[in-house]
Amino acid sequence: MSNVASAMSTSANGSIVRRNAVWLIAILVVIGLPFIFSGGVAIAVLNQMGIAIIFTLAYNMMLGQGGMLSFGHAVYFGLGGYFAIHFLNIMSSGSFVLPLIFVPIAGAVAGLAFGMLFGSFSTNRAGTVFAMISLGIGEMIASSSLIFTKFSGGEEGITADRTEAMPLFGLNFAQEIQVYYMIGGWMILATWLMYRFSRTPVGRLANAVRDNPERAEFVGYSQKHVRFMSFAISGMFAGVAGALFAVNYEIVTEETVNALTSGVVLLQAYIGGIGLFFGPIVGAVVFTLLQTLLSNYTEIWALYVGIVFVATVMYAPFGLSGLIAMHVPVLQAGRLGSLLMPYVKIGVPAVVCGLGLIGLMELFHFTGDRAVGESEKELFGYVFNVDTATPWVLFGVLMVGGFILAKRMGPAVFEIWQEATNFDNSGDNK
Amino acid sequence: MSAAIELIDVRKSFGATEIIRGVDLKIEKGERHAVIGPNGAGKSTLFNLITGKYSLSGGRIELDGNDLKGLQPFEINRLGLSRSFQVTNIFPRMTVFENVRCGVLWAMGYKYSFWHNVDKLTDVNERTQQVLEEIGMVERSQIPAGVLTYAEQRALEIGITIAGGAEIIILDEPTAGMSHSETDQAVDLIRQVTVGKTLVMVEHDMGVVFGLADKISVLVYGEIIASGAPEEIRGNAAVREAYLGEEAA
Repeated sequence: MSNVASAMSTSANGSIVRRNAVWLIAILVVIGLPFIFSGGVAIAVLNQMGIAIIFTLAYNMMLGQGGMLSFGHAVYFGLGGYFAIHFLNIMSSGSFVLPLIFVPIAGAVAGLAFGMLFGSFSTNRAGTVFAMISLGIGEMIASSSLIFTKFSGGEEGITADRTEAMPLFGLNFAQEIQVYYMIGGWMILATWLMYRFSRTPVGRLANAVRDNPERAEFVGYSQKHVRFMSFAISGMFAGVAGALFAVNYEIVTEETVNALTSGVVLLQAYIGGIGLFFGPIVGAVVFTLLQTLLSNYTEIWALYVGIVFVATVMYAPFGLSGLIAMHVPVLQAGRLGSLLMPYVKIGVPAVVCGLGLIGLMELFHFTGDRAVGESEKELFGYVFNVDTATPWVLFGVLMVGGFILAKRMGPAVFEIWQEATNFDNSGDNK
Repeated sequence: MSAAIELIDVRKSFGATEIIRGVDLKIEKGERHAVIGPNGAGKSTLFNLITGKYSLSGGRIELDGNDLKGLQPFEINRLGLSRSFQVTNIFPRMTVFENVRCGVLWAMGYKYSFWHNVDKLTDVNERTQQVLEEIGMVERSQIPAGVLTYAEQRALEIGITIAGGAEIIILDEPTAGMSHSETDQAVDLIRQVTVGKTLVMVEHDMGVVFGLADKISVLVYGEIIASGAPEEIRGNAAVREAYLGEEAA
């Protein structure tokens, strides 16, 4: 825990050059990615990723930075999307016209306005009360989106044509790649602004209120007002993400405001790690990859995402970014090599256990889903007959055997880990 | 000139039980005032009333002549009163430096700013550094406050309390749970950081009380039974019976 915390503090105190280098690299990565992943599917995945990154970072302004667990943050994402798509349609009707790249501002205004409205009464308390109110507002807006169909279009949603906006330097955003660069630009701008916010007096006090609201009151800050500001600004950036969703898909439906979307953003933030500012980016990238790529291979991808989530909460409470941050001091001390073999020793049985588990679940799913008379299932490149005992026993043995081996390796690996991270009484880390 | 803090017939009940039963107390500016009394006398309750954590059941409290009725803790803090807590009350996941800086920001006028970059606020960071020097924690400044030792956390809490430059400092058992040497250091620290300020403290350690306070009030069962200079209190028969006698026995 102390390692993660110290890694957090070092990441916040780098030199100005180093901090700007991060943004420069981010810009280069955004520009360069389409040259590496140039297919239509790849661009679609990258667009989805960019939107998810903004949304998850906005969400973590509340959860990680402000200590507010929201079960209804899709409200600001979805309403941002609805307002953006109506804004697009108003432009199409010819009342006035602006370049497409300004559409996210409509989403930001909507997200901010609803963030201020709902934040005004839901931020009095953090904790369970806050979580319950967020759930209630989420359900209220989700059901409203099916009731007030004039605004939401009901289950069909609202569609628009983004090419009707004013062309910008001859670009009409008909191509996915143009939208990609628009999302990329907004992603970097929004990420930078959110990072900057975390370094302002209110951003710092959001951490203070998260840690100890009572103490924050006794240094002059109203805990409610600090939470309210985080909430409203988080809503604004969620609205930007929703607007980019509207631009990218040219349709906004009830799905964007519902509980599933609220749940997904929570999963993304948690898998990535809520303790570090950049953690949610990792979560958004990994989750989008799981969602888009894994779903090509298996119908039960959501189950695997669930398992990844539970495993993260249990074994890596600081998320994937926390795992990375834990290794930074080890790397700096030049001791990463000493961890390699232990990781292989525990990693191989863990992967074997995972394969066994996947095999069993896929077989079981197949038995309930197959056509009559069909009994052959292809898995990992082999064909198994599910009506014989062989595949069941095989995967069962892999799972149980892998688990036992991994479990047995656990304490030894943990000991080596502790040795590698013990910087107190050794002379070699000056 | 009005007193720093004035309590007039202050009362507080929890349900049917009256914990504070009509307290009148005047604390002058620049005074170091200790409130002592047996366990359950209502000392912490009295502090929580002054600092706005609890609301009054009766009477009034004035700070520099301002009635505190209905004010929230953060509003009272903005009037120039700062407090520490009986149980260590810091921001555990933030660094020592950030803990102190949180205590500085409002008082230096940055309030709810969401545009200033805290790392570039030279005045704030200099003041923070100065407080860290005063409490002797410069070397620990980049460590998360949650991993400090107990005595260090108490010192940090005093740092947060004085960081905003409040004129009135309220300390609730600042040396509770400390060893002798730690207590001596804490007393030196408190003396040093409260020069020219009004100090009100609750304390159990009589050595600390008689070493620091200019004036002592004795609270027993929700009432002040004596108030005066340390030597008067030491000689007061009622106090000896109610309180000091128990300690000596």
